[in-house]
Amino acid sequence: MASVSQAPSLFLRNATGLVKGWSGFDAFTYSFMSVNLVTLGMYFSFLYVSSAADGSMLSSIVISGIAVTFLCVAYAGLIAVMPRAGGDYVWQSRVLDGIPGIVSGAVMVGVGGFLVGTAIGGDTLGIIGGIVGVIGGGALGYIKGGLAFVLAATGWWFILAQWAPIYGSILRVEFLQPLAALVGSTDGVTFFSSANGNFVTSLIVIVLTTGLVSLGMAGYARIQKWSLYIGLIGLAVMFVLMLVSSQADFQTAFDKASSSLFGVSGAYNAVVTAGAGANTDLAPFGIGSGTFVLIPFMMFWILYPNWGATLYGEVRGSSDFKRVLRGMLAGTWVTVVLAVVFLILAAKTFGWAFFSSTGAQVYSSTPVIPIWGYPPLLVSFLIDNRIFQIGMVIVFGAWFLGWSGTLFLSSTRMIFAAAFDRVLPEAAARVSDERHVPWVALLLIMVPSVVVSAVYAYWTPFASYTLDASLVIAVMFFGTAIAATILPWWKPDLYQKSPIARYTVVGIPLISIGGAVTVVVLGWVIYEWLAVSTYGIGVETPGSIIYLGILYGIAIVMYVVAYLYRRNQGVNLDAIHSEIPAE
Amino acid sequence: MLSRTSGGGGFEREGGMRIFFVTDVHGSDVCWRKFLNAGAFHKADVLIMGGDMTGKAMVPIVATPTSWEVTLQDERHELATEDQVRAMERRISDRGYYPVRLSREEVDAWAADPELVDRRFKAEIVHGVERWMGMADDKLGRTAIRCVVSPANDDMFEIDPVIERTASVMLGEGNTIPLDGFDLISTGWANPTPWNTFRELPEDQLAARIDGLVKEARDPHRAIFNFHAPPYGSNLDGAPKLTPDMKYVAGGQAIVPVGSHAVRAAILRYEPVLSLHGHIHEGRGAVKLGRTLAVNPGSAYEDGVLQAAIVDLDSQKGAVKRYVLING
Repeated sequence: MASVSQAPSLFLRNATGLVKGWSGFDAFTYSFMSVNLVTLGMYFSFLYVSSAADGSMLSSIVISGIAVTFLCVAYAGLIAVMPRAGGDYVWQSRVLDGIPGIVSGAVMVGVGGFLVGTAIGGDTLGIIGGIVGVIGGGALGYIKGGLAFVLAATGWWFILAQWAPIYGSILRVEFLQPLAALVGSTDGVTFFSSANGNFVTSLIVIVLTTGLVSLGMAGYARIQKWSLYIGLIGLAVMFVLMLVSSQADFQTAFDKASSSLFGVSGAYNAVVTAGAGANTDLAPFGIGSGTFVLIPFMMFWILYPNWGATLYGEVRGSSDFKRVLRGMLAGTWVTVVLAVVFLILAAKTFGWAFFSSTGAQVYSSTPVIPIWGYPPLLVSFLIDNRIFQIGMVIVFGAWFLGWSGTLFLSSTRMIFAAAFDRVLPEAAARVSDERHVPWVALLLIMVPSVVVSAVYAYWTPFASYTLDASLVIAVMFFGTAIAATILPWWKPDLYQKSPIARYTVVGIPLISIGGAVTVVVLGWVIYEWLAVSTYGIGVETPGSIIYLGILYGIAIVMYVVAYLYRRNQGVNLDAIHSEIPAE
Repeated sequence: MLSRTSGGGGFEREGGMRIFFVTDVHGSDVCWRKFLNAGAFHKADVLIMGGDMTGKAMVPIVATPTSWEVTLQDERHELATEDQVRAMERRISDRGYYPVRLSREEVDAWAADPELVDRRFKAEIVHGVERWMGMADDKLGRTAIRCVVSPANDDMFEIDPVIERTASVMLGEGNTIPLDGFDLISTGWANPTPWNTFRELPEDQLAARIDGLVKEARDPHRAIFNFHAPPYGSNLDGAPKLTPDMKYVAGGQAIVPVGSHAVRAAILRYEPVLSLHGHIHEGRGAVKLGRTLAVNPGSAYEDGVLQAAIVDLDSQKGAVKRYVLING
């Protein structure tokens, strides 16, 4: 017998699967590209600074980063306790049972039933919906894996159909429209502003991301790493240009470019004037109420450092836990620091009133210039050279390329897991003979994505439901955070044998602290999204609530049908997670 | 007339034969105990262990003048009493490692001499399997539950005779075992891995070995393959891609097929009713290859969770009636 390594605390032999772990940089890359400053932060979250006149963007980002830190602790802890489990679906299936499962299901589905009932038919129907939801949700939570399926199917699968047109929008406003403008294609700019252009861009994204899933993560990982390097170089160039240029330089450059590209004179002042009364101060240390209005917007992009939590292989000790946590935290905080630097430079170079107003221009029916003031494009105007400007937009396209490939990856994994648990037909997990592409799972996400993209393009109100895409994922994280919170007490055997059992703060398990704070934070954010009209998806937007009801309704119906169908076959889905006695 | 009864785990029985299949428990005591109890709990007729049953690591519990010291999962523990040491030994065993009591001098000697480590590993593994076989006799000796154990690529050859001489257990490797009208054919040999483990063969030799085994079956269509290596590109064989220095690519996100071409070809050629696999812990799933249901229940032995496949077979039709993958 050959032994491969020796250590005073552990003697290993040659055996399959024993590896030297993973590079912390890889974990950082995945996390950093998921919390994507350029594609998600700049595109959506930063546009809304004008929504909070007294809000501090900087404070909202830092506070959001602190909140997400606790999410990272909870997820890194769950990875260490159940490393091969595969993410939210299995973690929740294993932990959220019994009374916690019943209560969680009753509360979540009860609230959902009330909101959907109210949105459809007013208070009476809302109360009926709430009662039905409490009973049905309690039953769902009682069945091991029932609530987990509903939360994970909506969070890792259904809602990604909505992310496809959102990705399409990002590709459109950050890449295709700027390029069309820079090459002088007015028709191109007009087309990509149209509903048809919107739909076509979504289809491009769907084809692109499907191709990248078919390529497999092994191939895509290389693309992602190079995208990171190229994207960071572009960001560095952008920061340097912003640093060395004055506001007057920028105003001159912007006016000149707007004139030559769009035939608009005095564009800078026109943009500032159009946004008069909006957020006009960077307010670096502000923590007024406006700051807390901004935080739910920031969660749109900063919530996902745990996106790669589905698989980290064989975790052997607390050092692995720390490495996972470091990767997620680095992804979060490097992004936070870069965002803060960017915003300070934006205030210095663009002028905060201009930057704030540029965001508001996106939703104006009469914008000063016909495309969004995409920051890298704005900065590129400082160099009066069209080739440089085009190059800048292309280089920043790396932020999109290195990020978009994972759009459908999590969906296919979720579909596989549901098929293996017999909730979906086994055909859902089929792969092609030649290239081993999960074509059925891809179809199950592609087809809904095309449908949702069409609705997004041709039914205007739906495009304003963007934050629903984050809400559904946040609800899934909320369920997982509950599981993380109760784990040490509800599943003590599992927890005590894990490498994180020694991490406590004043006697309280660290994973529970991470989970509990995340429950509070996400609970508050979800409440804000649903209760405050600013976010456009809450109770004052019945269409959004009904849309969410349809998503969760499909998942619940799917599970109930599968449960009854399998029971008829003699297979009890509840028993899939029943623990066999060891004694 | 078939009778329907409710199984202890909640799965109905309707005549026929029920197989409870697990694999890759890698020395986890708690998983083995669950495996032995699974027959009664899930009303299974046949328990099958698909191999890689032995542990990968030894954890030294080091004697000091006044206590014992051990580092588990990067956490150092000082154990003052014999009860504490035994509790720690059980915790280590449940995780799949072998606890070994050593003096500080012995630890230093082991660190300097791999031969000492190898010798003790062999002793611990054989002793561990002997203990497990004793537990099997105790649990299953007076029941009608049949139990087949088939070592695999991570299991040294010395454990085969230990299994073979156990009254309540049948050795799977290289044997054709009749089961209610089906023939169970087992091999734990796998296609080459980066770890150069005990039972590895090049694909052509593995194909020849499989062909030789299938010849012993009465009817290949009524055979049950119990081949540790999963079929290549089947979705049951997706493992994290490794760099040349054995690190995960892309933080473990890059999954590549690593199964056996020979196993895949054999399934498609002979079309057995069922094909049971393991080897790839992340490869949990079930797929149809031709008319064959191929299953890999995966493994989460580190968590103390027994991942398993329950398959009901119709002896008259020679077909799979239903199956389910569980986390027990």
